[in-house]
Parts: sequence; C-alpha cells; structure tokens
Amino acid sequence: MTKFLEECDMEKLSKVLYQIGINEVGELYRDIPEEVLLKGELNLPEPLEEMDLENYIYSVLEKNRTQGEFLVFLGGGLPPHYVPATVDTITSRSEFYTAYTPYQPEISQGMLQALFEYQSMICDLTGMDVANSSMYDWATAVAEAIRMAIRVKGNKKILVGANVGPERKKVIRTYLEPLDMEMVEVKYLQDSGRLDLSDLEEKAEDACCLYIENPNFFGVLEKEASKVSEIVHAKGGLFVVGADPISLALVKSPSEYGADIVVGEGQILGGGLNFGGPALGIFACKSDPSLVRQIPGRIIGMTTDLANTQRAFTMVLQTREQHIRREHATSNICSNEALMAVGALTYLALLGSKGLRKLALETYNKAHYASKVLSELKEVNAPYFSGEFFQEFAINFKNKRLEEVIKGLVAKKIVPGIMLESDFPELKNTLLSCFTEVHKEADIDIFVKALKEVIS
Amino acid sequence: MSSYIVPEDLRYSKDHEWVRIEGSIAIVGITDYAVKSLHDIVYVSLPKIGSTIPKGLVAATVESIKAVSEVYNPISGTVIEVNKDLETSPEKINESPYEAGWLFKLNPTNLKEDIEKLFSSKQYLEYLSSLKK
Repeated sequence: MTKFLEECDMEKLSKVLYQIGINEVGELYRDIPEEVLLKGELNLPEPLEEMDLENYIYSVLEKNRTQGEFLVFLGGGLPPHYVPATVDTITSRSEFYTAYTPYQPEISQGMLQALFEYQSMICDLTGMDVANSSMYDWATAVAEAIRMAIRVKGNKKILVGANVGPERKKVIRTYLEPLDMEMVEVKYLQDSGRLDLSDLEEKAEDACCLYIENPNFFGVLEKEASKVSEIVHAKGGLFVVGADPISLALVKSPSEYGADIVVGEGQILGGGLNFGGPALGIFACKSDPSLVRQIPGRIIGMTTDLANTQRAFTMVLQTREQHIRREHATSNICSNEALMAVGALTYLALLGSKGLRKLALETYNKAHYASKVLSELKEVNAPYFSGEFFQEFAINFKNKRLEEVIKGLVAKKIVPGIMLESDFPELKNTLLSCFTEVHKEADIDIFVKALKEVIS
Repeated sequence: MSSYIVPEDLRYSKDHEWVRIEGSIAIVGITDYAVKSLHDIVYVSLPKIGSTIPKGLVAATVESIKAVSEVYNPISGTVIEVNKDLETSPEKINESPYEAGWLFKLNPTNLKEDIEKLFSSKQYLEYLSSLKK
C-alpha cells in the first residue's frame, strides 16, 4: 500500500493526511496490534513481465488433467449435462452479469422478470405452488427446508432417508447443531435400494419431517413415494423431497405424490460442472399459508405499477428476510444465485418441456444401455440394486478391490464413478456410475471394454 | 390537535396497545396511531391460545409490506381467544383498530396492578402530542 502511495504526488498526499488528521499513512492501521503487524516485506517472488507471467501460469495449469481428456461417469448429485452456448450468451450480458440484488424494483424489472420466470418454471417442474428465486445449493436448500419444517411443526425429531446424499446429510447435521434436535435415519432395503417403509412406520411418530431423494443417492427411483407420503402425513410430519430437476421431465412430479417442500440441484440446468460450483439451490413448496411465510430466501412477485396500467415485478414477503426481520428472519441467507437462476431459466426456455423430456429420456436410455451391457459381465453385479433407476446405478465388484479397478481405468483415461464404501461401509467394492445424454453409446462401449480388461 | 382516534373508555400503553375490560376478560389491540404509522397491514401473527404471557413480552406481530411491528402484551394474562378473521382479512385492523380489528383476549392474572400502570385516554393523548415534538 505504501509503495503505491510513494508513487503519488507527495504534496497532494500531505494535504490529504492533514485533512484527516494524521501525519503518515501508517497511522491508518494503528488499530492493528503491534504483535500481528507485518514487519518487512511479503515473501513473494519478483514481479514478472506480463508475457512471462502468462507462460508461468499456463505451465502450472498444464499439470491439471481436465474432463475433456477423460471419459467421466461421475454423478452423485452433479451429473454431467451439455451446456448450450446460448446460456452463456445470455448470462454474460452485463445487465445480468453485474446486477446486484433487485431491491429497487423500478430499475430492476429485467432481472426481476427473469427471476419470476425462473420461479414459474421451477413450479412447473416440481408441481409446487411457490418457488423462491434460489438458494446457494441443494445441500443448504435441504437444511433450510428442514429448519422450516421445525419452525412449522415444532417437534424434536427429524427423519432422513439413509439412502440420500452423504454431503446433504452432513450439511443437515451442521444446521441442526445449534438446536436440540434428533436426526434419525430411515433404513433402505438392501435388495431394491429403496426406502424401507416398515422402518419408516416405526420411526415416523413425532417427527416434524422426512427428507428423501427421488431418485435417491443410489440412482434408484422411490416408486412407493405416495405410500411414504401417507405414512409421514398420518403422523403429522412434512414431506420434503430432493429431486433431480431433469428427471422431473420424465417421472411423476413430487406434488403428485404428496410432497410439501421440494429441493434440488439446479446447477445441472445449464450451469456446467466448473470444478464443483457455483451451484443453484432449488426450493419450492405448496401454497399452504402455514408454509409460505416460513420460506427462506428471496421471492419475486408479480403486481402492477401504482397507476395500475403496467405489469411489474418486485421482491415480496420481505418481512421474512434478514434486512427487515434481523434475528427473527426465517433464515440467515441474504443472497441468492441470481445469475445461475438466469442461466437455468435460459436452459429450460431453450429446451422447452418437450426438449427437456427428450433429454431426460435420452439420459434414461443411455443409463439403461450401460446397465444392460454391464449386466452381461459375470465378474460384476450390475445393476447392484434391483430398484428401477433413472441415470445412475451401483455396480458391485464382488471380491475385486475397487481401488485397483479404478486405478486401472484411470490409467486408461476413464473415471468410472464414485466409490460408495467410504460413506456406506456396508457397500464394499461398490461403484456408483452415472450416464447422461453427454455419453455416446460408443463411449459406454469403450468403458465396458476397458472394464473387462481391468478386471480380468 | 389530535388527528388520532383515542376512545375514552380504554387504557393505553406506551407502545400503542389498547386494553378494553369486559367483565373479567381483557381485550387487546393496537391504536389508531399505531395503525396510521404502519400503513396497510398485510399479515398478523397471533399468540397461541392457552399461552400465558407476562406484561411487556411480545404477544403478537403485525406486518406491513416493509416492516414488522411487535405487539407487546400490555397486561399479564392467559390467551383465551384470538381474532381469527385477521388470518384472511388483516386489513380489518386498519379499518377498525378498536372494534373489528381486535387482536386477542386474555384472562388477566394481575389486572388491578397492570391496568393502573397504563395510560388513560387523556394521558395517552398527551403522550401522543409529546411524540410529535
């Protein structure tokens, strides 16, 4: 900082210092305790010319192995999907890219309308009545849904399917930590991979909610979700469902089987994988009065201007939020993923309902092709669970060590999937593989051929 | 001087709540001054029936579009009834803060003492004019 100022006109600088009442620039930092003050220079290398710096950076980046070089079959909540160029064209428009929170509706109608349309599409997909304009990601969206259920119902116990994503479970626990709450897992059936309904019956008493995923973490579709809903509601709890938004073009919407709140990962709607993020938390619920005012996050509503002549959009129900309610707000979230939501809107608008269904069907077909070919291999048990699946399924390698198999495949430029054992110790040597529209049949054939070589 | 309605037969708190005594029951609401400060009320959150709320604690909240106002219980008591009409028609508070817009009814636990500590209508009017300065 002082080096920069040394370049400044010293006369001007001394005038400024005089105005603010100090003798030297160092005095601006006098609140920093002596013992933590940096003395001397930072341990940085000498500056480089721009061209040399660029070369250096590229040489470091060269050490990365990127997705383009590998065949990747990773899912686990973030399946790969193609990102059309149009999405980036729209989101890179500075009007969207640089926009801040639309607190001033009169100058933010474009962004507000885009977010309202996004909310409408989420309602269409999930069958819910109200959607917010996004949360940070799927995991925090679930945690917020559960906190919401706790506020609405007040019981001390929440239920989570044992077959939901491990990262989601961890974040739920984090959000429950300050509360005196019990999180109980509902078992899954070892054969189908679906939720164990009799275990749910036993545990449902006094629970404020149940959270399941559909398809679940093992890729299996919870075909008995209506029955699950009945059990949960009979005991007075709320039914929270985590759904893959693309699967919703093909399978029943959660509203059809009684969900009260729906959450999910919107990053797959045109967001791209991007080394993990940014993500897009989907959050929607039924328009029950006891629920709507407990929703976290920003909600955009449609109204008219004061003259009642034009349609206009604005943030609504703001009295739930931080900037008005402070510590009594429904959540500590004070932002959203607006740009990601605009990207998702673009993606969905581009595909339309027919296109999205086609995409979902292609994904489903690819996964089922892979499953069929793999099921012919005697050395593996695929698909490991008998339950109907959407885009992912588990593959059990019997007595072969999965780490060795993966090593062998990576050497052949294939990343075959996720090892389940670390989060599900009962699933030894079991892999979770994901197949979507981005995988050509030829890619899947290469995968299976390489797999045969590695395990023989 | 006062453009605010302040019925004579009620008692008032500094936080602009009013109390009407009907036999052994106390009825609580917010004053015309409070309502005019809040503008359009869009939502009311009322206390649980059966809950015992000490004087001075938050008993209800009243929401306009941009603000939330806490309603402090003016006299200690147990809630025996809440105005269910306000669930669907919160605007009743704006239209009729002292009649149709009542908030909740209490079984007072310390009536004589608590009532004495509240303003009479005259005292409340004086209090309101002091606020204007």
